[in-house]
Amino acid sequence: MPLTRRGFALTAAAAAGFARPAHAQAEPIRIGWLATLTGPLSSPGIGFDRGVRWATEEINAKGGVNGRLIEVITRDTQGEPTKAVNATQEVISRHKVHAIWGPTNSGELLATSPIMARAKVPSLVAGVVNSLIDPDKYPNAFRVTPSNSQWDDAVRNYCMKVVKVKKVAITADATGYGTSAHDDSVAGFKKAGIEVVYSGVIDPAQPDVTPDILRMKNAGADALVSWTVSSGMAARQMNARAALNWDVPIVGHPAMGTGEIGKLVAKPENWDKVYIIGYKSCSFDDKGNLPAKTRAFVDSVKGKIKLDDTSLWWVASGVDGIRLIADAVAKTGSSDSDKIIGYWNTLKEWPGLYGNYSFTPREHNGFNGDDIVMQRANSQRDGAFALAPGYA
Amino acid sequence: MNRAILPYLGLFGAALLLPLFANDYWAVIGARAAVYWVLVGGLNLVVGFGGQLAIGYVALLTLGAYTSAVLCARYGLDPFLSFAAAGVVGAVAGVIVGLPALRLRTFYFAMTTLGFATIVTQIALAWQSVTGGGIGLPGPELPKPFDTPWGFYLFALALAALITWLSANVASSRFGRALVAIRDAEVAAEATGISKPRLLTTVFLFSGAAAGVAGGLFATLQSYITPDAFSFDLSVTFFIAILVGGRGSILGPLIGNIILTLLPEFAAPLVAWSTFLYAALLLAIVLLMPGGIAALLDFSNRKPLTANRAIVPRLDRLRGLLDHGTAQASIVLRNVVLSFGGVRAIDGLDLTVRPGQVHGLIGPNGSGKTTTLNVISGYYEPEQGEAFLGTTPLPHGAPQTRAALGIARTFQTPRLIGEASVLENVMIGATIEGTASFVETMLSLPRHRGDEKRMTAQAMDALAVVGLDGLAPVRADRLQHSELRFMEIARALMLKPAFLLLDEPAAGLSGDEIKRLGELIVAIARNGTGVLLVEHHADLIFDICDHVTVLNLGRELAAGTPGDIRAHKEVVSAYLGA
Amino acid sequence: MLAAILAAGLAVGATYALIGVTYNLMFSASRVMSFTAGQLGMLGGVFGALFIHRLGMPIIPGFILALAACALVGVVTEIVAVRPVLGSLEQHLYVLSTLGLALMIQQFTAIEWSTEPQPFPVLLGFDGGGPLDEKFWLPLVACVVTIAGLEFLYRRTLVGRAFLAIAEDNFAARALGLPERNLRMGSYALAGVVGGLAGFASGELLLAFFANGAMLNFFGFVPVALGGLGNNRGAIIGGIALGVFQQAANFLVGGVFASVAVFAVFIIVLLVRPQGLFGAPATRRV
Repeated sequence: MPLTRRGFALTAAAAAGFARPAHAQAEPIRIGWLATLTGPLSSPGIGFDRGVRWATEEINAKGGVNGRLIEVITRDTQGEPTKAVNATQEVISRHKVHAIWGPTNSGELLATSPIMARAKVPSLVAGVVNSLIDPDKYPNAFRVTPSNSQWDDAVRNYCMKVVKVKKVAITADATGYGTSAHDDSVAGFKKAGIEVVYSGVIDPAQPDVTPDILRMKNAGADALVSWTVSSGMAARQMNARAALNWDVPIVGHPAMGTGEIGKLVAKPENWDKVYIIGYKSCSFDDKGNLPAKTRAFVDSVKGKIKLDDTSLWWVASGVDGIRLIADAVAKTGSSDSDKIIGYWNTLKEWPGLYGNYSFTPREHNGFNGDDIVMQRANSQRDGAFALAPGYA
Repeated sequence: MNRAILPYLGLFGAALLLPLFANDYWAVIGARAAVYWVLVGGLNLVVGFGGQLAIGYVALLTLGAYTSAVLCARYGLDPFLSFAAAGVVGAVAGVIVGLPALRLRTFYFAMTTLGFATIVTQIALAWQSVTGGGIGLPGPELPKPFDTPWGFYLFALALAALITWLSANVASSRFGRALVAIRDAEVAAEATGISKPRLLTTVFLFSGAAAGVAGGLFATLQSYITPDAFSFDLSVTFFIAILVGGRGSILGPLIGNIILTLLPEFAAPLVAWSTFLYAALLLAIVLLMPGGIAALLDFSNRKPLTANRAIVPRLDRLRGLLDHGTAQASIVLRNVVLSFGGVRAIDGLDLTVRPGQVHGLIGPNGSGKTTTLNVISGYYEPEQGEAFLGTTPLPHGAPQTRAALGIARTFQTPRLIGEASVLENVMIGATIEGTASFVETMLSLPRHRGDEKRMTAQAMDALAVVGLDGLAPVRADRLQHSELRFMEIARALMLKPAFLLLDEPAAGLSGDEIKRLGELIVAIARNGTGVLLVEHHADLIFDICDHVTVLNLGRELAAGTPGDIRAHKEVVSAYLGA
Repeated sequence: MLAAILAAGLAVGATYALIGVTYNLMFSASRVMSFTAGQLGMLGGVFGALFIHRLGMPIIPGFILALAACALVGVVTEIVAVRPVLGSLEQHLYVLSTLGLALMIQQFTAIEWSTEPQPFPVLLGFDGGGPLDEKFWLPLVACVVTIAGLEFLYRRTLVGRAFLAIAEDNFAARALGLPERNLRMGSYALAGVVGGLAGFASGELLLAFFANGAMLNFFGFVPVALGGLGNNRGAIIGGIALGVFQQAANFLVGGVFASVAVFAVFIIVLLVRPQGLFGAPATRRV
């Protein structure tokens, strides 16, 4: 449903950007929300955006925080670092925001982090690249999603403990993210003593990946680890696996669970035995139930937010970002950056919808690696997924 | 003071005032516009002046950015030195990217630049040990006082002003005029001795260096670079800024660049459609307003010209212009044979054009007149036979060598640069007389200014000689057909030619104008220049020629004085029809 | 493995070849190279997926409608981006006008269709996924049909001969009283059909994806450049060779270096032989 989804996001951006609540007496809490809302990388941003808008409305409906309403200034960065830099400086200097949530991908964050650090704006990071978090360089930046090494650990542990691989094939798409994820993953597996029998990046536009999959098969891999955000490439890998009658699991990036894949696989069963990174909070147990807190959220937003065409964790993380900022203002009674940063530095198992966050002045990776699980890629319902075999 | 620089002073003056009342956000946007202009300003010479459609210039931005970022991050080089290094790398790469332009057609060239843009990003992605691959690496951090948004803004602004000045110097010089000549009238450019390879290589060096420096600045502005920062959309934006601004202008593209950088900031809800709108803008500009912003700002050329203007050559000023005395050698063709697709256009022709004489070349259509001219001026390579100047053989297929030998020409259809002024069109004729090097020109050093002064004076003389001095500042495409013919003669006279080849100069002229043309040609010959005149107007030929050759089917049918020819039976029956 | 590489290589190669023919058809009618050639290929896939998959039309009407829509885009190209600038061919404005139109088509598709690749329907049901899967041979069939169709058109029909006459000598053809403008529009419509066919036949392989336009534009141009402008035989040989070379390089040296290798070959051949491997050197006119 790209049309409706996009229209939705556009109006959201416009409304959030321009509508200032007229009745607010106290200075609003201004949050810069930078996300990729249009263009090829927009799926996560659109999911996050729904959570951000919902959380903002929820808080404002209750009268805001200490009588201060939340005002979200949304900027669509289109996944372009140049636009992200402009937008970051804009929300900082022109709108004088108290905190920034986003951008939602690493390529943009790498460029915007120094700007936010220079302006000492409290910022919540939703990008996996490890170097984004550095309490010395960026004392203002706090990661509320997993880091790349946490993702790597999750995939590797699953391959070793559940799939019990001896030989692994590792592949990624030839994009900025893909090449770096590929290298980290290869290094991780090698360090853990697993034989990497095939590794390589593939041009996501390559029309047929059968030869590559065949090479992996001939090399005797027990599992295929795939780091691609390209739905076309992911589906082609699954189709090629089926065509070659190769019966090993594909393990890797959450993008392999999007609804786009379901449309592109030649047969529905080609999507079986694909396991993606997921989170406890957004997983169905073997009885098909979500954790109580998540279920309450899903029930409360039924009919208000579309969940079936996105990932629940994107929405949940979007909610958590706004709530973390709001909570800091509520607890410290101030929207000063030192106060917000100081408060976040003390958080211990802060209970969010998506995960529980803990920070110290020296550790700004707040996401608990134990909350990461593997899920069945083809089990999406309300944006959540069923746990992969080995968890139940 | 020159009024033309007022708009620049206004723009850059306003830019200098910006820090007084705007916040850091505008510093970033302003710096972005300035950094992009450093690239676009250089690229403008390639695209806007030279007409080489390099759509993938983001490749050079990428190279420059990575060069300076790698040198700073990995080798701890001083950021300013890294910018210089980026400029050097950009210059070299600029030549590599530009080189295909010398051999390939426009569309092909555009495609190869596109290919370069893809490849450079791919290499940045793959060469992880140096570029950081997908993770990228930090851009150079400037020392105080340039480490703040406004500090960097002013630094970038200074470089933008510099590139404006340098490119404007080049644009208004013989190099700039030659570039436009290559763009709009390549054949004429060759005839005036412009060497396309040398000129384009120089300009690609210049614009490559500018793009490389812009890349270094871009890396600092972005603070961190990854391959995905260098999108094709960015490349298209640069390219469109130039075309929106208008070809052959500096001010237009400068304004275009500012508009295209600022536009997305004012139209946030349209951000998804921005590339679509740019593309639509490009199409609209090409179809509706090919002159771009520059044409909108060109108020002087909207004033109507006098309707009944007459061309009154001032033959008395010819002596000052053609002060070379009578040349010694003759142009000699010996047994020249040339055929096109089996048809012999010239079939064993001998011809001698003597200095100081008017030599008429007549014959029916297809008898080989223009082909003969093209052999002499080097466009065609004969299969047999030789052409000499005195005893020196004229190299075949090398028209750009003729100007230096003192052989000038005009064309059957005037080859002009419509968007340039009449004066500039004429000054192109003296391109090879310039003494200042490209660097001297770029920096507007005294030798360059001397060149310009001399060439302007000489061109005004030439225009006075042909009677067009009143139209010097007018855009050439506003002239009447007959005036263009005289303008071409003025351009040819700029070479102080020993020989002047005229290809049907009287075509389309009124009776009065033909008479004045005849007087002008005779006067030119009497000043020592040999004139070879291809013409259909028999009266003109018989009135002014010292010697006439009649061609038929590529061979000499008759030759002699006008009197001889008029008495020649075959000529009279076959051709003169009297 | 060889079979898999060959199957994919021949299939994409046939697609590139057809885009090359699209370039040639436009060029021979107007002396203009158009950036919309690749976009027509992209649209063939998108229209096919739209009509058959999304709107649920039967295959045959969906196919005809998709080609008709592409023919229309071809005609629009002629009217909007080519005809107005034909008068000043020397200034090469067509490079700019067709670039503008091509970008507009691409962006419009990205926004109104999807930025993600969308599924293309299985047409005949031979979809086992092996080297004999229809997605590999449909482009080849389309290529053969196109060659045969063009041969028939040029040799057996009056219109086809008129096309040839226009391609040979524009002025002479006009002097003979041929309706030059209509023939040009016809050529562009035909180019639209061939480009659309390329995209439709390769839809199962390349999917209905907006970014295919730029990709096909470049890789469809390479065989034209290598084979010689206006030379359909050269374009087809060049296209198929390129496809196989590219898939082999993809497999042997990996995604990043494969495109570097393709580009390196392209640029070297062009610099050595600007007129292409099978083309005749251009004669100049003064």
